[in-house]
Amino acid sequence: MKRVGVFICHCGTNISAAVDCEKVAENAKSFPGVAYSTDYKYMCAEPGQELIKKAIKEQKLDRIVVASCSPRMHEPTFRRCIESGGLNAYLLEMANIREHCSWVHPDDKERATIKATDLVKMAVAKVMQNEALVRSTIPITKRALVIGGGIAGIQAALDIANTGHIVDVVEKEPSIGGRMAQVDKTFPTLDCSACILTPKMVDVANHPNVNLITYSEIEKVEGYVGNFDVTIRKKARSVDLKACTGCGTCIQKCPTKVPSEFEMEMMDRKAIYTPFPQAIPNKPVIDRENCRYFKSGKCGVCQKVCPTNAVDFTQEDELVTERYGAIVVATGFDLFDESVYGEYGYGKYKDVITGLHFERLLNASGPTMGKIKRPSDGKIPQNVVFIKCVGSRDEAKGKAYCSKTCCMYTAKHATLVREKIKDSNAYVFYMDVRTPGKGYDEFYTRTTDQYGAKYIRGRVSKIYEKGDKLIVWGEDTLLGRPVEIEADMVVLATAMVAKADAAKLAQMVGFSYDQNHFYTEAHPKLAPVETHTAGVFLAGACQGPKDIPESVAQASAAAVKVCGLLSKEEMPTEPIISAVNEAICSGCGMCVPVCPYTAIDLKVIQERIHGKTVSRKVANVNSGLCQGCGACTVACRSAALNLKHFTNEQILAEVDALCL
Amino acid sequence: MSITEMPQNWEPKILVFACNWCTYAGADLAGLSRLQYPPNIRILRVPCSGRVNPQFVIRAFQRGIDGVLVAGCHPGDCHYVSGNYFTRRRYLLMQRLLQYVGIDPERFQARWISGSEGPKFQQVVTQITEEIRAMGPNRKLRDAQ
Amino acid sequence: MSEMTKKMQEIAREILEKGEAQVVIGWEKGTFWYLSPPAFIDKPEDVQRLVWDDFCHNNLSKYLVDLKNHEGKTAVFVKGCDSRAFNRLLQDKQIDREKVILIGIPCPGLLDQDKAKELGKNSELPKAQKCLECQYPNPLVYDYYLGDKEALNEVAATKEAADYSDVAAIEAMSPDERYDFWTRQYDRCIRCYACRNVCPACSCRECVFDQTRVGWIGKANNSSENQFFALTRAMHVAGRCIECGECERACPMDIPIMLLNKKLVKDINELFGEYDAGVDIEGKLPLGHFDKNDPEEFM
Repeated sequence: MKRVGVFICHCGTNISAAVDCEKVAENAKSFPGVAYSTDYKYMCAEPGQELIKKAIKEQKLDRIVVASCSPRMHEPTFRRCIESGGLNAYLLEMANIREHCSWVHPDDKERATIKATDLVKMAVAKVMQNEALVRSTIPITKRALVIGGGIAGIQAALDIANTGHIVDVVEKEPSIGGRMAQVDKTFPTLDCSACILTPKMVDVANHPNVNLITYSEIEKVEGYVGNFDVTIRKKARSVDLKACTGCGTCIQKCPTKVPSEFEMEMMDRKAIYTPFPQAIPNKPVIDRENCRYFKSGKCGVCQKVCPTNAVDFTQEDELVTERYGAIVVATGFDLFDESVYGEYGYGKYKDVITGLHFERLLNASGPTMGKIKRPSDGKIPQNVVFIKCVGSRDEAKGKAYCSKTCCMYTAKHATLVREKIKDSNAYVFYMDVRTPGKGYDEFYTRTTDQYGAKYIRGRVSKIYEKGDKLIVWGEDTLLGRPVEIEADMVVLATAMVAKADAAKLAQMVGFSYDQNHFYTEAHPKLAPVETHTAGVFLAGACQGPKDIPESVAQASAAAVKVCGLLSKEEMPTEPIISAVNEAICSGCGMCVPVCPYTAIDLKVIQERIHGKTVSRKVANVNSGLCQGCGACTVACRSAALNLKHFTNEQILAEVDALCL
Repeated sequence: MSITEMPQNWEPKILVFACNWCTYAGADLAGLSRLQYPPNIRILRVPCSGRVNPQFVIRAFQRGIDGVLVAGCHPGDCHYVSGNYFTRRRYLLMQRLLQYVGIDPERFQARWISGSEGPKFQQVVTQITEEIRAMGPNRKLRDAQ
Repeated sequence: MSEMTKKMQEIAREILEKGEAQVVIGWEKGTFWYLSPPAFIDKPEDVQRLVWDDFCHNNLSKYLVDLKNHEGKTAVFVKGCDSRAFNRLLQDKQIDREKVILIGIPCPGLLDQDKAKELGKNSELPKAQKCLECQYPNPLVYDYYLGDKEALNEVAATKEAADYSDVAAIEAMSPDERYDFWTRQYDRCIRCYACRNVCPACSCRECVFDQTRVGWIGKANNSSENQFFALTRAMHVAGRCIECGECERACPMDIPIMLLNKKLVKDINELFGEYDAGVDIEGKLPLGHFDKNDPEEFM
């Protein structure tokens, strides 16, 4: 026989002023299963809790209902209380007779008392079906994974490594550095990007707690917080990193030239190459798609000239699986495909380029050795037109959001044009100028006032070629008149967009992304670096457009979260999760797509039917991933899935208790 | 008491399935703010509106409830990321199906009420109570017992 | 013997003799001239039992679930509706495509059994209601096809328009009229579960209505519990019903079950976009995913 104890709290007069607590306690005595019922002035206070503990012992109670304030307030208190009284914490139910009753029905004591009685009745009916649940713990693997080796990934890895934890950084490209490596100067200080980035690259590469895994991609992620099993595909580099000294002889001798991705295809690289001079690791990789040896079987010059025999054409992709306690996703961004704007002639006119192309033109180690020259004929441009919001804030053709960084880097570009080219003109077509950020607006003001960049509010409608000039047609909406500029070069401030394969990675790791495929933080205000998947954190522009300082700040924030997690030996798990009744489960898999945490998969079980062993699939709940929402239980037609502590039977018992 | 007669002093009884994170918190806020509403509703706490099986709703009608409200977080705000989007699909269909078999739309409703919307909670439950009070006791789908 | 019956018997014989499949599921003549129940043929000499006529109503794909643990392959004849059921069961992971050989049959629409029984053998018989409303009379998937393939391609390209006039007629009633209508229908229900047993969407290992868990599902046969059953089943097959109409045909009490199912099909189409269950096996189920821009007509 189950013996329920009911404890009605007066909460001083908070409840008793509107509810007849003695009467509720008296009414409760008649509810099925109730062995003891009483009321008290302050249940949550020490004497109140002692009252409960004493009653558990003396009345041999095996489950408890406390009718008081909201369980959101005191459920943990009373769980601890009955636990120290010798009962399992989950054999408690609360009836909320304060927030949901006395406080909202102060003037009708009779009906408030009826309502309170009903709420207690529901709680009693539910607690009769409660089962003891056990919190378990999961061990935490003290190793972190950072996906992406740009500035955000580097910063996160350094911060984690500095606290003594091991970090692996997986980078898709042959070198770490990311987008920041491509940038020439940074706003608003105009210090050189490489000068501040490369020391950090070196730091992270030399850090004893950091392992760089470059030219590698994430293949598979299994497991959950504390224990992610991640399979990494190490792409065949064709160069033995241990043997290679990075002398560069192979690169010099390689006969095949390929447009360099790093230089935005304005310069060539070799088929065996490092993406840029300060690359880390500064050891080459063979681009097998373009390598003469891999295409025709002939050549092999690099192998012949290598003094350390590091070139290995037989290398194959290698899959390694490693276990991590936490993951930082810092995969960065791509640029919007500008060719959507046919009227700007991108791709058609060589001298219509993007901001990132312009960064390379400004860079001393770039295709023009830092001289601003036209890609078409190498002439120095006099009139440079910048167009902002190309793809940003344009729902019709591009993205609805603001890319955030373009206003500042365009101001930087305009400044540098005026600084580097004598008698030049920099025209900027803009919709708005948005410069929040320390020192940002001051920089913009200098761009216009001191450097004399000409800002024109309006959009460009058409660009066409006339001789060696680009004629830019637009409108100055402030003056309300059309503008025509004879430009030598046009620079488009293209939108930052999510990586093309962003959704794929999110699905693999199991967290969500928004309509633009930027990764979704757990809370826009209060959990900006967490994802909904415990143990997975976000850093940098993969979460949304960001500039360098923001990316770095977010990376450090993510690192703190990781360190907090890794500082524990183990973490407790909430036992309110879904459970599968395998005997009933037909393995239809309807529960799988409704689970927001990818906590359910199908596993094969064996059973004997008519003397034969047959295997079939059933749903399998990963207790580390399940957060206990119960969505799966409704998707399951045969009720093979049930949510502990909120079972079908418990909820229906409450419904019945209320109605009957 | 026969269910075909209007009992004296009849008061509607309304069941509210409230998700723990938004609507339950919204109801708590209504309490903290002392926002009064008729004492006809009974809140049943569930982790997520996505936990509410349509069978629970029908069962409540069978057992003689006069109205049911399913309430959860606003779309996009679900504590469990996407639970309420499934709720929305499920109960859009369910609402139409219930009407199709003759249940008056006022008797089964669904709303988004966030943890900060104490006044909305008050307004919604007051309105539903008044609508159902005007309609009288529900006799449809009822178990004769 | 019809041309199609001959073709059926030939291919069944060939499949069994070659050992391509161990069992062939088709139809055979039953107790009465207007019944053609399923036939399970496992010997070549039995193939002459197979028949194709105006009463081959049973959706044979459902029987694949019973045979899923059999060794070897099973061959099954599929009309349009059987093929949609097959796809649906594949999506529910209840059958293994590799273990099934599908033999497609073009379906001209079958005749109404009840009318046949009532009017007698030599009368002009109407088509079954479900066939009059059929949108996909030809198989959507098959390994062999017994009809004219070119004609099939032509037909497959045009989907018949859906007819919801019967649903609309109920929607036009007042709430109380609707309630009375359905109460009259479900008061007749004897809870025999024939509708469920014949339904290809009812593929649960153990139906909730067969479970003995206390406090979960009522089993009493009364108006309220019958409606609970009807609404629950309707929600369970929502987005998964392929409209083969077998539930309604199997119902011994003539309850218009398809009026519930069609209502859900209609609403799903209106609310979440056109969706025909069992047509595209890659497609997501209407209640298995969501769109952030789903309508919110009553929230």
